[in-house]
Amino acid sequence: MLDGMLLGLETAFTFQNLFFAALGCFIGTIIGMLPGLGPMSVVAIMIPVSLQIGDPSTTLILLAGVYYGAIFGGSTSSILINAPGVAGTVSSSFDGYPMSQNGQAGKALTIAAISSFSGGTIGVVLLMFFAPALASFAILFWSAEYFALMLLGLSAVSAFAGKGKVLKAVMMTLLGLMLATVGESSLFHAPRFTLGIMDLQSGINFVTLAMGLFAVPEAFFLAIDKIRSKKSSSKKSQEISNLRINLKEAKAIAPVIGRQSIQGFLIGVMPGTGATIASFLGYAVERNLASPEEREEFGKGSIKGLAAPETANNAASTGSFVPLLTLGIPGSGTTAVLLGAFIALNLQPGPQLMQDRPEVFWSIIMSMYFGNIVLLVLNLPLVPYIARLLSIPRSFLIPFVLFFAMAGAYIGQNNATELLLLLGFGVLAIIFRFADYPLPPLLIGFVLGQMFEDNLGRAIRNANGIEFIWERPMTLTLILTAAVFILIPILRDWQENKSSK
Amino acid sequence: MLDLNRAVALALLGFSSGYGYLAYFYHLLPFEKFLAVRPNTMPIGLAIAGIICSLVILIQPQVPKVEVEGDGTVNRPDAEYLQNPQNYNWGQGIGLLLLAVVYVLSLRGVGFLFSTSAFLVLGGILLGERRYTLLIPISITASVLVWYLVDQVLTIYLRPWPGWVYY
Repeated sequence: MLDGMLLGLETAFTFQNLFFAALGCFIGTIIGMLPGLGPMSVVAIMIPVSLQIGDPSTTLILLAGVYYGAIFGGSTSSILINAPGVAGTVSSSFDGYPMSQNGQAGKALTIAAISSFSGGTIGVVLLMFFAPALASFAILFWSAEYFALMLLGLSAVSAFAGKGKVLKAVMMTLLGLMLATVGESSLFHAPRFTLGIMDLQSGINFVTLAMGLFAVPEAFFLAIDKIRSKKSSSKKSQEISNLRINLKEAKAIAPVIGRQSIQGFLIGVMPGTGATIASFLGYAVERNLASPEEREEFGKGSIKGLAAPETANNAASTGSFVPLLTLGIPGSGTTAVLLGAFIALNLQPGPQLMQDRPEVFWSIIMSMYFGNIVLLVLNLPLVPYIARLLSIPRSFLIPFVLFFAMAGAYIGQNNATELLLLLGFGVLAIIFRFADYPLPPLLIGFVLGQMFEDNLGRAIRNANGIEFIWERPMTLTLILTAAVFILIPILRDWQENKSSK
Repeated sequence: MLDLNRAVALALLGFSSGYGYLAYFYHLLPFEKFLAVRPNTMPIGLAIAGIICSLVILIQPQVPKVEVEGDGTVNRPDAEYLQNPQNYNWGQGIGLLLLAVVYVLSLRGVGFLFSTSAFLVLGGILLGERRYTLLIPISITASVLVWYLVDQVLTIYLRPWPGWVYY
């Protein structure tokens, strides 16, 4: 492992990689701050551009920087204008916004920066130990286990979809899997389900789908949303001063940071969860742990209530790299987008990654230390200036968001027809969002679909039947766990429906 | 009775059935008939699962909406706004999408620089921007800058001028 760390340091700490890590953090912070643009869209927009760099380590370092930069930047808009740019920072606004209304905006931003830094850094330390351990275990896996693992990943995504939406999430995952079968596949000999359309021959492009599903609806919702547009345009960016926190406050938030780093990380590791759930849970747990008089403060500007979600969401976004790097299973929508980048770079994330391309594996991890420092340096002194971005009028912001989404897909495909497909997906995604169907499962199903079918096919061919399901204990365990993940929330919903009648 | 939720479920049912039809009658190559996993094995399974799933969504009783979502895009403010459609600037949203379609269609004929500048300017005007002296220079600068980055730096060909101008 020491070898790997040194190799990672060597790769990550070249001038080029440090530069791109810092650039990624900077871009992520700025775009993540803009209301409505989540890390998923930001990373998706950056993929086509970053693929042009050529060096896989650098590309992934940049994208990882964009990811945690976006989580970080989202907290700024939550605190200052109560318009979370990212779902994962919604709970930061519970206490952050009251603080800034009390004239403590500077202090709130400092606490957010320190908590994020600590959560991120502790998360990376844990990642450094967790990922190789899991990878050396997962190297024993065959295609049968991979098939089961993907089933587990897909079902976990659905299971964490939120109350009453499990079936919808399952349906979206199935839709994603269906879309993944369009075009050519590695296992078979002719393209499928193209309906004779030439542009579908090579399948649906991942970036096109991701942009259509996330960037277009976000632009649309920003445009039609009267309330939020008023919120961000009418409020002048207020003076942010007094960034200091005192020793007493530091002592108060230190245990919160310690607990939430570990909890957030562990939640992030579980497939299907992510920064959003980690931050909500972190907030709830700290609220319950606080003394009664401190509990009164929660929701009115408690520093603990701000530190908890901020630590947890950064630790969780680091933790979500564990299943991605070691198993090749994305745990959240954003890591699904990152998985798309891995595939575009011709890298197969999974246990082999650590064996075959240790420099990529370790340099991503090592660059995260640096990235977290960059975020801290970037945010403490510069935040008052960066926050001016929040006053960009929406009449400029929205057309540019849409334009960048389309430019991103065009760069990847060089094809204007692709953009029509993108807009088509966008319209579908808008309808799905109105009907309250979750979209990340669709994308995860799409990304995993090809690998899912390949592994299933290989497992069945190797075993000449489906006996492998019960003959391999690991496979059976994983499949049963997946079944439990799906069934329990469905039964729970059903029970609640029955009792509410 | 048929709210948006169920209408979408119905559409998904239709999609799954159509997909299942295509999968079931998929034209197998002669040797593919002997494969353990045929090209349409998983699609047929998916279609069946999709049909069952969408049917259940269609007939199950409505569940009241909840606030905390999974890791995803539908964040809390949206969920609140979704309740009352009067809160929306429908015209602006739909107009913007239509504008984007026109933009995409015009890319090839009119060239990147003109169509992008026009898209950004018209998009701004649509969203209520009236400071033309600000809007027009920014849009033109942005489209030239992006064209320069994509075409010259990344060397991905983008036709800058209309088709009839020799470049």
